[in-house]
Amino acid sequence: MLQDPVRSEELVVGDVVSAGDGFVGRTPWQLFWRRFKRDRVALAGGIIIICLIAIAILAPLIAKLVGHGPNELFDSATNEFGLPIGPSSKFWFGADRPGRDVFVRTIYGARTSLTVAFVATGLATLIGVTLGVVAGYFKGVTDTIISRFIDMILSLPLLLFALGISAACSISKTGCLAGLIRPGLRLVVSVIALFTWPYIARIVRGQVLSLREREFIEASRSMGAGGLRIMRAEILPNLAAPIIVYTTLIIPSNILFEAALSFLGVGIPQTTPSWGRMLADASNSQLFTYAWWMMLFPGLFLLMTTLAFNLVGDGLRDALDPRTGGDI
Amino acid sequence: MERYRRSLGLLCLGSILLVVAAACTKSTGGGGGNTTSAAPTKGGTYRSATSSFGFVGAFDPVGEYTAVGFEYYQMLLRTLLNYKGVAGADGLTPQPDLATDLGQVSSDGLTYTYHLKSGIKFGPPVNRDITSQDIKYAFERIDSKPLVAQYGFYYDGVIEGMAAHDGPPKDISGIETPDPQTIVFHLTTPTSDFPARLSLAATAPVPQEVAKCFTKPAGGYGNDIISSGPYMIQGADNVDISSCKSIKPMSGYDPTAHLILVRNPNWDQSTDTLRKAYVDGLNMSIDSNVDDIFNKISQGSLDGSFYEIPPPTVLQKYATSSSLKQYMHIDPQNTTYYITMNLIVPPFDDVHVRKAVNWIIDKAAIQKAWGGPATGTIAGHIMPPSMAALGPDYNPYGTPGDHGDLAKAQAEMKQSKYDPGHTGKCTDPVCSNVILLNRNISPWTDAEPSIVADLAKIGINVEARELESGAAYQTIDSVKDGSQIGIAMNPRWGADYGDPNTFAQPLFSSQAIIPVGTSNYSLVGLTQEQATKFGVTYPSGGVPSADSQINACLPKTGADRQTCFQDFDKYLMEQVVPWVPMFWANQVTITSPTVTAWSFDQFSGFIALQNIAVSNKVAP
Repeated sequence: MLQDPVRSEELVVGDVVSAGDGFVGRTPWQLFWRRFKRDRVALAGGIIIICLIAIAILAPLIAKLVGHGPNELFDSATNEFGLPIGPSSKFWFGADRPGRDVFVRTIYGARTSLTVAFVATGLATLIGVTLGVVAGYFKGVTDTIISRFIDMILSLPLLLFALGISAACSISKTGCLAGLIRPGLRLVVSVIALFTWPYIARIVRGQVLSLREREFIEASRSMGAGGLRIMRAEILPNLAAPIIVYTTLIIPSNILFEAALSFLGVGIPQTTPSWGRMLADASNSQLFTYAWWMMLFPGLFLLMTTLAFNLVGDGLRDALDPRTGGDI
Repeated sequence: MERYRRSLGLLCLGSILLVVAAACTKSTGGGGGNTTSAAPTKGGTYRSATSSFGFVGAFDPVGEYTAVGFEYYQMLLRTLLNYKGVAGADGLTPQPDLATDLGQVSSDGLTYTYHLKSGIKFGPPVNRDITSQDIKYAFERIDSKPLVAQYGFYYDGVIEGMAAHDGPPKDISGIETPDPQTIVFHLTTPTSDFPARLSLAATAPVPQEVAKCFTKPAGGYGNDIISSGPYMIQGADNVDISSCKSIKPMSGYDPTAHLILVRNPNWDQSTDTLRKAYVDGLNMSIDSNVDDIFNKISQGSLDGSFYEIPPPTVLQKYATSSSLKQYMHIDPQNTTYYITMNLIVPPFDDVHVRKAVNWIIDKAAIQKAWGGPATGTIAGHIMPPSMAALGPDYNPYGTPGDHGDLAKAQAEMKQSKYDPGHTGKCTDPVCSNVILLNRNISPWTDAEPSIVADLAKIGINVEARELESGAAYQTIDSVKDGSQIGIAMNPRWGADYGDPNTFAQPLFSSQAIIPVGTSNYSLVGLTQEQATKFGVTYPSGGVPSADSQINACLPKTGADRQTCFQDFDKYLMEQVVPWVPMFWANQVTITSPTVTAWSFDQFSGFIALQNIAVSNKVAP
């Protein structure tokens, strides 16, 4: 991570400090960006992610262009035995058993995965950073409580819990907590956020523990700054880099977590396309031995997405850490 | 650079995994076999596999209430009356089994007397003659609540002195055993389908000296069933019944692995006109991979399937091949698959809404999702063709191509109080968040999108909830406020025996409504008192009842009874409208060329294990 802590005032991109002849100083962010640009693979990952976001946003438009909705059923897409047709001029990625367009559903599946990626992970980050900073800064009893809490959640069997909660909240009409927890994307996002914030909290807490001993924090304190101000203005900015990196690296496992939950049939109703659910439908009675397209396309997209986030996360980490090799 | 190698590595791994996945997919080899027109061969084993036994009563005959359980019992147990194990109406007509004839009925219809054939013995390790007292003991077990009988309602209140009680089996005043070969039943009221109730496995003779050891937990006797039929559970002869403590489960039955039946040495073919018992035994193993089961059948390592619906790829393979077609056996069961609507949950408490739903559902799409016409006939009314057959012409909500009719559905919806603006769609807020209950396995999940889309056409926006089969049933069979589901597509109902009342009382009578475990999911006939007692809201408009119609039919016999129940079906479809019947199921069984004699057991709705023959020479 950043070796030399910087003060918040210096984090302005574009500040070029000229000092004498020939030397061009650059802000840490500019340095980071140059390093990141050099990493071709990470850039490729970044472009893939941008494309995916574009596809997700434009999904309804694409569906309109193709002429098939994500939940529209086509009798012509299945034969008399209910078996779907493969990739054709009308159905680019083929159809599935109820007769839906796999291409359109794959595009819409990007929405689900990206929602999980950004919303669930965002929530996890929010909770994790808050609790991590509080634990690391205040130490003592607060730290102990929060740390034990983190340990507890980290030791829970994720999948079993998620399955249990989803199953228990599926039975009644209102779900759990008076309608707050109902099967669907909301439940999946909540479960994922609830179980992954400890990772971030732990890392943040470790960073804060070392940061708070620095001289500039002492200086702030001696100038009369309260705990909250120090956390907000001094500590948080220095955490920006690790937060960004670890958040990006957690996204792939969250996406796969949602895919796993959907694969196991808990959480998202069929009307919200999800790559995990599409993979499950394909493996029902080994349908993919006949309808290979039902498995190939969602699988490929899932692979591409997680790979892209992994590459970008790796690239971010390398670019933000001046210690790892490579020239500027 | 190191990073490139890492990414390359990731890419390679990904592609390798894809390739491995593709390579691991088995290709189903088509196998053309020799046509088998040979005479039935004796011996060999029927080797089959199933994804799970699916027992609801742990295989103890007193409470096992599944059709698959009933079919296994056709090999293991004998009852006073039983069936020939053939297809069609002939397979639903009770025949004497342990009894010498169909019994004598008194003129007032209240006393039934049966004489037992002589020389029928229990299998090892009991090895003694079966007596009327053993049959009576089976009835005593039914009334012992700790043993959890599941169809006691066929006997409680019907046979004098029979009522469920806490505590161990005790004497029943209405069943007399004047001598070991005679049994007399005293009824409280004439019940013309009573003889058929004596064909159910819970009434098969049970040796008290063994069963008395199984009081807790319920179902324990299922591990040590003593045979009265042509076959016994493998390992039965090794069980030590000298004391309760010494009894160990028979090795041939492992609920998670297999059920192996071998010949019962004490079975005398001359006393049994109903069972051919060609095979030397049955080997039913558990294989959770359904596709694997059908692969093995086409390769010949299994002789045939059991209850699993063949996946559509298998259906297509066999139906389109002239050489394989003969190995696909399609027989109608006595089963209706249906969508049930709860009469007390808005908007389904309005008959116009229920009728609109009947008009809009695309039944042809549902049939396709199941695998096409081989899997069943689209249902136009409630009772399947084998029961009080109204015939395919009676289809009050029939639509062109069975695709549903939007205009008719809208016309019906416009008359509903939930469509005050007469738009043809439900506009009441209560329609915006209805839960549709479903099973979480194929093909139910494949039929779901069609039903969801159909309901949306008339303004009912459902959120589908998919649950495991048992959990889905438990959700709709309990009558508790707050957990009432408005509409569910998971249930199917099969007749317990060949009388149309099996499609009436348990499904639509108010006395069938119990707080937990009811089969009257629609709550037809729910009374105000029941609603208060069970804690559910009684709708202001009341709940339609079918009690008087059912009670009018019960005392009738013969052709009158048939006509009465046909009218009852019409009354349900036109006035009460509790269901949308989807289709009447066929059982599709795939066999391999090793099966030399095939028979379908209409009673259970599956292959007649007691009457098939195989050419393999394998020991069980």
